[in-house]
Amino acid sequence: MGARMLRKLLMLAVLAAVAGFAVYWFVTIPGTIPQSALAAYTPNVANGKTVFDAGGCASCHAVPKEDRTLLGGGMALPSPFGTFYAPNISPHPTNGIGNWTEAQFATAVLKGTSPSGEHYFPAFPYGSYHLAKLEDVRDLFAYIKTLPPLSGRSREHELPFPFNIRRNVGGWKLLFFADKPFVPDPKQSAAWNRGSYLVNGLGHCAECHSPRNPLGGIVSAQKFAGGPNPEGEGWVPNITQKRLGSWREKDIAYFLETGETPEGDTTGGIMTRVIKNMAQLSPEDRNAMAVYLKSLAPVDGPPRPPKKETRS
Amino acid sequence: MIRGIVIVGTLLLGVGVVAAQQDLVAQRATLMKANGKNLGTVLSATAKGDKPYDQAAIDAALNVLEDTAKKLPALYADSTKGLKSEGDFQASPKIWENKAGFAAEIDAFAKAVSDVKAKAKDLDSLKASLPAIGKQCGSCHEGFRVKT
Ligand code: HEC
Ligand code: HEC
Ligand code: HEC
Repeated sequence: MGARMLRKLLMLAVLAAVAGFAVYWFVTIPGTIPQSALAAYTPNVANGKTVFDAGGCASCHAVPKEDRTLLGGGMALPSPFGTFYAPNISPHPTNGIGNWTEAQFATAVLKGTSPSGEHYFPAFPYGSYHLAKLEDVRDLFAYIKTLPPLSGRSREHELPFPFNIRRNVGGWKLLFFADKPFVPDPKQSAAWNRGSYLVNGLGHCAECHSPRNPLGGIVSAQKFAGGPNPEGEGWVPNITQKRLGSWREKDIAYFLETGETPEGDTTGGIMTRVIKNMAQLSPEDRNAMAVYLKSLAPVDGPPRPPKKETRS
Repeated sequence: MIRGIVIVGTLLLGVGVVAAQQDLVAQRATLMKANGKNLGTVLSATAKGDKPYDQAAIDAALNVLEDTAKKLPALYADSTKGLKSEGDFQASPKIWENKAGFAAEIDAFAKAVSDVKAKAKDLDSLKASLPAIGKQCGSCHEGFRVKT
């Protein structure tokens, strides 16, 4: 091979790399909501509290073992990619989100992008929250502003390379982040639509109740069909009609209020946190979620790991 | 020869001990399932309106729960640490790592049961007081039970 040929080949390789990087850079640009998209609006703080409860923000951001309104963060969230620590989102001006604009907050919750233009990790479940209505998010911001400001910042996440590169989350978003708003189904009842909005969006039920692929994306064909606990040990149950077929609507609504199953079990593990949030909602909202869950076709979940020996 | 007998004997004894410990685990599962029955098919079923209010049935269910609370500490003896249950739920190792926390859960559960016993005299008072029991079942399951 002549030297000229080699040079040409090298040039090509460099060009391909540059082009590849440009594509990578372009497709991983974090999305935002500009201030100009926010028309004048008087937020409804009471609805903001409903959004806060439905979204379960306190489950992760409340200081562990403290009241659900103390959003100083600090809770550890283990995952297959490393350990995340929920940040302080109390309205403290420097340690929390006290100085954030409404647009910055909406961008964080709906687009998963920080005020400095970086991607958030999907441990913050914006993959579901992006379905929330903009007005709901503005009400939520107004509600959080009424809570006590707390000082102090939580620890840095403990993530090994390459999971610690925020830009790479852009690739994850490209594959798994369906940036489409919630569209009501006119053929269904108002309760079903409200339930679908709460279960798929703010309630982020699928984030735990679905199997994930090795890149951490939800396996859409088995959405709600259960899988290994994303936060560590144990199994998250199937909540399609495969498992909940014998539960009546009122059983599901009662479960969401109390954590009690119609079989008489009382739920445990990380679901207990979810029930604390659902118990705050109105009976109408819990019923709506039950109506929607009853409509989910039965789907088989992934195979369970074989039972361990009964003797250790 | 004697050594042989001793070894066989020790082995048998060992098997016997493990079986007894495994039995404690099975007893736990039985008691927990009975908890579920008493709460689900009697107490909550009445509160939900699926069953008519029957004071005798309510009292009987509460008595069983009270009795269960007394039995729990012994059933989670150190010797059962690491043994697996046949069911879908396992005892978390935290029970033996945080013994004070687990004991506090049992106490809080016992207290919730006696509170409801003192208060539940008709449907309204049952409805108002019962959630405290479910909350304590859930509180212990939150920290000390693992679904598999
Ligand atoms: C499952 C746990 C979880 C839940 C539930 C959750 N978050 Fe978060 N949140 C996180 C994590 C983890 C981060 C950090 C993400 C990162 O660093 O990329 C985060 C980051 C944030 C940030 C950015 C904070 C900063 O300093 O940049 C905001 C704002 C936020 N969350 C608001 C909310 C709101 C509002 C809700 C409820 C609607 C909510 N979160 C629910 C885990 C959670
Ligand atoms: C943080 C993860 C997580 C989230 C979010 C979550 N769940 Fe769960 N859920 C679980 C786990 C784990 C269990 C099993 C609990 C146990 O060990 O008893 C469970 C149990 C349940 C059960 C009982 C199923 C059975 O087989 O007994 C239902 C129903 C349920 N969840 C519905 C929901 C709904 C509806 C939502 C959304 C509002 C939701 N979950 C959100 C983790 C989660
Ligand atoms: C002090 C802690 C504690 C309290 C209180 C408690 N449980 Fe449990 N429960 C457990 C643990 C731990 C397990 C896992 C099984 C084991 O212990 O081996 C369990 C398992 C269960 C199971 C599953 C049994 C099986 O194998 O299928 C049911 C059902 C249950 N509990 C119901 C209840 C109900 C209902 C209450 C309240 C009336 C309650 N429990 C109170 C700790 C508790």
